[in-house]
Amino acid sequence: MMHFTQDLELFPNCSVTLLLFKEVQNAAELRKKAMEGLINGALIKPTMIVDAFQVVVATNKAVHLQKLGKLKTRTLYSEIIFNLSPTNNISEAFKKIGISDGDSSVLIVLINEKDINVDRITSQVDGIQIHIDNLQTMADTSTIRKLFKITPQEEKIGTLLDAIVCRLSTKDVC
Amino acid sequence: MHKLRNNIMIHPPFDSNSASRRPDGVNGCRYSTGYYLQLIKQGAEARVYRGRFLGKAAIIKERFPKRYRHPTLDDKLTHRRTAQEVRSILRCRKAGISAPVVYFVDYTSNSIFLEEIEDSVTVRDYINSVLCSGENAEKLIDLANCIGQILSKMHNEDVIHGDLTTSNMLLRDSAKTGCQSLVLIDFGLSYISALPEDKGVDLYVLEKAFLSTHPNTEHVFEALLKSYTTSSKKSLPVIKKLNEVRLRGRKRSMVG
Repeated sequence: MMHFTQDLELFPNCSVTLLLFKEVQNAAELRKKAMEGLINGALIKPTMIVDAFQVVVATNKAVHLQKLGKLKTRTLYSEIIFNLSPTNNISEAFKKIGISDGDSSVLIVLINEKDINVDRITSQVDGIQIHIDNLQTMADTSTIRKLFKITPQEEKIGTLLDAIVCRLSTKDVC
Repeated sequence: MHKLRNNIMIHPPFDSNSASRRPDGVNGCRYSTGYYLQLIKQGAEARVYRGRFLGKAAIIKERFPKRYRHPTLDDKLTHRRTAQEVRSILRCRKAGISAPVVYFVDYTSNSIFLEEIEDSVTVRDYINSVLCSGENAEKLIDLANCIGQILSKMHNEDVIHGDLTTSNMLLRDSAKTGCQSLVLIDFGLSYISALPEDKGVDLYVLEKAFLSTHPNTEHVFEALLKSYTTSSKKSLPVIKKLNEVRLRGRKRSMVG
């Protein structure tokens, strides 16, 4: 099974599924569809992600706020993209974290879909699905470090993932 | 509405937006979905649980409502404490001070979901085990040097921990004793301040806690302060204030 699924303990019947694709030819078309709300998923630049865990953390926060009716963006999926960004600027989040027209890879986040209906999404992607473990190697760590302003001393006491996750979860008060 | 069972207060479930939650005996709490959290500590301020969260071992610190406070004040204070705790943790981490990673903050129940530091012992237990086994006190001096260094770094970032005790410091992978393995926890009473007075008080709290928990360790604490002093240029005014605060304490003569 190439995709990754994680249940959200705090939200019954809610689970997150991640799908990773390379050699994507129709990124522009996918982005347009996503903007029009035709895709029930979040389309993310895999180069900006170091590990599936940070996506799960961002999704958990998005679902939490949705249930409270306190989303900062318009949809649950745009909220996930926003939560993955280090700043509180929504359009910057879409630009830096969301898929761009020229991208050749895409990470798709689905909610509640386990093994069924994954095909509905994969059939829309003109690319090759690869195992989620490839995320680590696809990460553009120098851009990520610059974007998140990760300090060298911070990476001495933990991983890059730790540094990112801590920022994502505390963004609203820091 | 509280129920008293075996002299332990059982609080009613919270109005969390997630699945309904109820206390599960005196040892935990269970969500209607079957998600179980094990209660490991109940303090005056918060309950601490452990459990799995998003595939990781986690600690959940929940600041419950205090019925003895005015509700408006309670809401504000609890929320402020939660936000300050989380802010201080991030600030420390950015400066290279080990503190648990924050995974999620639920501001409706004022619960913080944190990384569980596995395979660790509190500095308190470590010191006690060294003292009890009659081992060489050298080890403790090394530890004191580490603590002094780390606290100096923390105060340089203007983070006041607020509750420095040896129970709020963990040693990860207790086999290694390098300074990298020291983790600070429980930033519940922390705040940001540049004042040497506040830093001095922070050290005073530690001194009191240290010497009362570990009798006859004055030389160890002295080493800690020495290490603190030499680790930073900003430390001298802090030590000066510490000396002033010492003279101020309880059961002290206020003769100037």
